[in-house]
Amino acid sequence: MSAILEVADLRKSYAGVHALDGVSFSVEAGSVTGLIGPNGSGKSTAIDCISGFQKRDGGRIVLAGADISGRPAHHIARAGLMRTFQTVRIYDRLSLRDNLAVAAQQFDPATWVDELLRTRRYREAVEQAEGRARELVELIGLERYYEIETGILSYGQKKLVALAAALMPRPKIVVLDEPVAGVNPSRIREIEVALAQLNRAGETFLIVEHNVEFITNLCHRVIVLDQGRKLAEGTAHEIHTDARVLEAYLGMTPEMAEAEMRGMA
Amino acid sequence: MKPSTILPLALAAALAFALLPLVTSSNYIVGVGISALIFTVAAAALNLVYGFTGLLSFAQLGFWGIGGYVTALTVVTFGGSFWWGLLWAALLNAVVALVIGYPTLRTNRHAFVVVTLTFALLVTLIARDWVDLTRGPLGIPDLPKPSAFGHHFGSTSQYYWLAWAFSVAMLAFLYALCSSRIGRTLVAIKQNEPLVRAQGISPMPYKLAAFAIAAAVTGAAGGVYTFHLGIIDPLFLDFYYMQTFLIIVIIGGAGSFWGVVAAGLVLSALPEALRFSADFRMIIYGVILVAAMFVMPSGVAGWLRERRIARLREQLR
Amino acid sequence: MTIDAVYLLQLTLNGIALGLLYALVAAGLSLIFGVMEIINFAHGELLMLGAFAMTFALPVLGLLYWPALAASILAIMMVGFAIYELLLSRLKPDEFERSILITLGLSIIIIHVMQYLFTATPRMVDTQYGFEGIEIGNIRLTWTRIIGAGAAIVAFVGLYMVLRYTQFGRAMRAIAQNREAALMVGIRPRVVARNAVVLAAGLCGLAGAAIAPIQLVTPYMGQFLIFKAFALVIIGGLGNIPGAIVAAIGLGLIESWIGGFFEIVWQEAAVFVIMIVVLFVRPDGLFKRGGMRVG
Repeated sequence: MSAILEVADLRKSYAGVHALDGVSFSVEAGSVTGLIGPNGSGKSTAIDCISGFQKRDGGRIVLAGADISGRPAHHIARAGLMRTFQTVRIYDRLSLRDNLAVAAQQFDPATWVDELLRTRRYREAVEQAEGRARELVELIGLERYYEIETGILSYGQKKLVALAAALMPRPKIVVLDEPVAGVNPSRIREIEVALAQLNRAGETFLIVEHNVEFITNLCHRVIVLDQGRKLAEGTAHEIHTDARVLEAYLGMTPEMAEAEMRGMA
Repeated sequence: MKPSTILPLALAAALAFALLPLVTSSNYIVGVGISALIFTVAAAALNLVYGFTGLLSFAQLGFWGIGGYVTALTVVTFGGSFWWGLLWAALLNAVVALVIGYPTLRTNRHAFVVVTLTFALLVTLIARDWVDLTRGPLGIPDLPKPSAFGHHFGSTSQYYWLAWAFSVAMLAFLYALCSSRIGRTLVAIKQNEPLVRAQGISPMPYKLAAFAIAAAVTGAAGGVYTFHLGIIDPLFLDFYYMQTFLIIVIIGGAGSFWGVVAAGLVLSALPEALRFSADFRMIIYGVILVAAMFVMPSGVAGWLRERRIARLREQLR
Repeated sequence: MTIDAVYLLQLTLNGIALGLLYALVAAGLSLIFGVMEIINFAHGELLMLGAFAMTFALPVLGLLYWPALAASILAIMMVGFAIYELLLSRLKPDEFERSILITLGLSIIIIHVMQYLFTATPRMVDTQYGFEGIEIGNIRLTWTRIIGAGAAIVAFVGLYMVLRYTQFGRAMRAIAQNREAALMVGIRPRVVARNAVVLAAGLCGLAGAAIAPIQLVTPYMGQFLIFKAFALVIIGGLGNIPGAIVAAIGLGLIESWIGGFFEIVWQEAAVFVIMIVVLFVRPDGLFKRGGMRVG
């Protein structure tokens, strides 16, 4: 398997503070990779820099062999990297169907002339988008809301909508920024299952999350950031038992952690 | 409301409006009708840029004025026809909009409001002080009524039909735009710009397009209104017009195409019906504006929408 | 063209006086923006009300300047208080366009009510100082202008001290700089916003009252000034009070110099042209969005 996303030596500082201090990692095509770390470790900054929502100070970002470093957000999206946001972003006043249609429209060849004249190119593009939309809507289980304004959905449902929207254009990789933050536990399981299913179908995900169980269940590889640097990298299990990770997260050594857990048993 | 229900209604209403000069012999009422039609077009253009795209642009007043002056000058100073005047008014405004839009749209929304306001003011200053071009405070009187295909639109009723045809054409164009993908993208930009960018769409070309199109349409409307008045002077740029367009959009519901159209036709007739002193009328405008912001910030259309959503929520729980 | 030094000096002094006036209005606008993130369209009307208040107070108080000035400022501060409590307090933080429309509506109401009650006939008012003044060489300065300028300077010094040294001033700066952090520390936004509006109203009231003896008072007098004030706030950097003040005094000087040598139209257009140029070069204003950095 080759790397679909390669991040090399990513740097970003604010007012003298190094939010990112030379972070490098890669995401394998077809994998689910987790990006975790304590608060302030630079995870969100890394995502923003990679997706073009913040200007990086240094480093290279390569998507499927093409250099996307420093490009504007909409270019990066068109290049095949889609992302979701920590505070869910959807078009509240548009129907679920329109939400997904907007997510797809930049990726089809139809122009406004095509739409005006209702050419075949336009009609085919719309049909294709509809087909994909219905697939995804079924996957996230929101069929009954297809024509309804998404504003009335619950927070967790909106997160599912955002996920579906990100998947509409068949991206090379989807970067999820805390996909289950603020979502109630039953819904979290739903999202987990949906992501696992999508991954089996070939989608690649980079997930930033705090929810350890979620990451453990889903991710093949996990990257740990701390204070702007990569602290550790490995499988979920390896990360769990890594001394440096334990210390960074919990401020304790493996012996202390074990003692804690024995104390709790 | 689905297009299939509302379009036939709109068509019927349009035809009904065409009949106005036939059902009344009062030139005054027909004149009110002309105002209603043209103000509705200007409000619909403001709705495009503010209601749909989210840009509170006071520049519309400037474009309205430029449109009026360009049309008048084309006929009086350059000897062209009224129709060419309208075309030039639309084109010049579109170009000006692109030129000032490009830097202004890249600033934040606060600066945008102030800059558009300033633009409107600058146009007023030019109209008043560049006497060589605009004849200053005296204005350009005695504008001749236009003709086309041998038909002279000399009487108020005949001019009404010109205004009617213009309005129907402009509203049809704006409707097509607002219900297209482009219109949907504008709405998306207004609601959640970062998401739009994350979906591969650059918002700038869309904002510029909305800004320029609104400018062109408003300019043309200004031209048609100028020749209805028969004179243009710096008073054409009075803030009163901007306030009228704004109130129509707010009462109708920013972002609702038909809400604004309906509000435009109804509200334009109201001031004439409530024949108070000018000051009192303005005080009522002000009160409406403030009250609407508290009671019905999304206008009548928005309020109807809220009720529909509430009912939906009930059904789906 | 030889430039008469005395003429230039006269222009300069006029320019400074004008600039201080602009600065009073712009500083208040900037203060309100910094704390509430709204642009107060009715700000010019506060100035106009201050001028009207002065035209009523002076005759009643026997043309005594200082009591009338104090009374006018107080009156306008109360108006500001009322405006905040009745209207502005109901605005939520991210409602910029709505705030504009509300204050626009308010501006329309105030202007036309005043016009309805008092007609548009310009008013003149006299003070105890009459037209007396001092003469330095060929330059003449009336007392009313000197005092007006002096009062403005005192007001700015006072503003600086309030923002820097008092608790309520610090609270204003905190909110302007970082609203969330300020809220977490327990600063109450309503109280701070109300104080900011009252303070800004006071500055406007002072400006209006100071102008009343100098030029004609009409219901529309706030209007043209306010557009310049908006431009000044943008040039200085939104929310940056010192920036607005510097820009205002600069504008006063520029307008005075231009007016002395060129036609009036360029004088009026100057500020807008400058604003557009500044936005091209530095979209955030000449000075940084300082959050009212005063030290």
